[in-house]
Amino acid sequence: MDAAIETRGLSKTYRGGVQALSGVDLTVNAGEVFGFVGPNGAGKSTLIRSLLDLIRPTAGTARLLGIDSRDPRSRERVGYLPGDPRLHPRLSGRAQLDSLLRLRPVGGGYEDLAERFGAALDRPLRDLSKGNRQKIALIQAFMQRPALVVLDEPTSGLDPLVQEEFRSLVRETASSGSTVFLSSHSLDEVQHVADRVGIIRGGRLVAVDVVEAMLERSVRHVSVRFAEPVDLKTFAQIPGVQVVDGDGPSLSLRVEGSMEPLVKALGGERVIDLTSTPADLEEIFLGYYQEQGE
Amino acid sequence: MIGEVLRRALGDRVRTLAAWCVGAAAYLAMIVAVYPSIRNASGISDLAKHYPDVLKELFGMGAGINLASAAGYLDTELFSLMLPLFLLAMAIGTGAGTLAGEHEAGLLELVVAAPLKRGSVVVAKAVGLTVELAALAAAMIVTLLIAGPLADMSLDRPRMAAAVLAAALLALMHGALALAVGAATRHRASAIGVPAALAAVGYLVAGLAGLADWLSPFRYLSPFHYAGRAPLESGVDASGLIVLAIVTVVLVGAAATLFQRRDMASA
Repeated sequence: MDAAIETRGLSKTYRGGVQALSGVDLTVNAGEVFGFVGPNGAGKSTLIRSLLDLIRPTAGTARLLGIDSRDPRSRERVGYLPGDPRLHPRLSGRAQLDSLLRLRPVGGGYEDLAERFGAALDRPLRDLSKGNRQKIALIQAFMQRPALVVLDEPTSGLDPLVQEEFRSLVRETASSGSTVFLSSHSLDEVQHVADRVGIIRGGRLVAVDVVEAMLERSVRHVSVRFAEPVDLKTFAQIPGVQVVDGDGPSLSLRVEGSMEPLVKALGGERVIDLTSTPADLEEIFLGYYQEQGE
Repeated sequence: MIGEVLRRALGDRVRTLAAWCVGAAAYLAMIVAVYPSIRNASGISDLAKHYPDVLKELFGMGAGINLASAAGYLDTELFSLMLPLFLLAMAIGTGAGTLAGEHEAGLLELVVAAPLKRGSVVVAKAVGLTVELAALAAAMIVTLLIAGPLADMSLDRPRMAAAVLAAALLALMHGALALAVGAATRHRASAIGVPAALAAVGYLVAGLAGLADWLSPFRYLSPFHYAGRAPLESGVDASGLIVLAIVTVVLVGAAATLFQRRDMASA
């Protein structure tokens, strides 16, 4: 079976000399949900727009569903959500979606999706809020029941309830055998939905791993408040735990990898409050960089 | 598929096009309505004889055209400037807006992401432009056919229709240039500016070539030269129209190739 996405040595240098991608080799398997994560300006949109032949790589190749991306047929069963989707201001959502459907050889439908997301179909798009326009843009990416959906920062502008609905749509799409490729600037946003995650930074694919392994390596900042002062040494001894600050009943910790040893140690104490700040992408990058350097 | 690009291009323009047709028809009807009083004013032709040569050339009466004849009157009042100007303005506006304008607004991203060849998107836009110009030209022809007899004008109808279509072809060529410049620069402003400047210079060169010897060889570079001067009096020259048609096809081909090759700008 062909990979859903396959890039080999994909590089892009923009006019003016900015190297946005350098030698990206990426394989996304059919039927998986792939999270493509990196900070703003890392090259996420450049890679996505090269896949769709909107921009031409300076070197390397990309294949979608086994067909070279330079061939328009490679996009026949591909849905796409741009990072900054622009819709026709004067058309209603319905007219815009109908028009986009007619651009493609395969049929589709959007009524069920519109109902699911509570999208306003009959008002001119210029009258809709950014979040409501984003719903229409999302619907157009899924309405062909595509074999591959490529989504550039799909949840921007969506409220949390709609984001949850979106995640379940992604899961359903994957379980029906389609592939979902979505980008984000935060690991948190994709970790609940992606099977695997690729991290891009400075135009290079730094790491590709399953989400669990990615989280294993991640660093969390944990603050604990106890009922009474505790002995700092007990916590300093826990593997992966580093005491950043300790002041009587309050403790600030840096936890690398699994939370399990810390949670076990906390079990013997009277804990009043516990907060854990999620994995910081930058620190995960650093982890992978150090590994590459070794 | 690609038909939808054409459908959308025309759908977006229906109201603007209707306004152009109504405006042009009203202007043409007004010019025709004035004709009976001009014809009966015997001094007009004498007055025109005393115009400076520059004005006579620009108004298409350099060869001593008789203002009191219907053909001479319409050549001077319509076909020398205003009728081509209506068609040119619409063609350049549409040519620049439909490609560079939509590109700048980010509206082509989802169109090009569909399984279409980008070059064929440009061809569909060019077909849309041609249909629009044909509609405006048809409105002009119908107006003259109806208003002419009412004003007691005797016109050679096929020649009149050919004259309007020649002006429409001249406009189409400039619209195709707007497409090509838009495909190359991706900026709507230059896609308007370059063909508009060519139209202005081309008009002056073709109009004044008869007065200044040094200018005369340059008239072959002016698209207006090929559309013909005083088309009702002297008829439309088919060979000139063939030149315009070839240049138009070459420009659309260049626009398609350029648009096919270049990166799409991110919105």
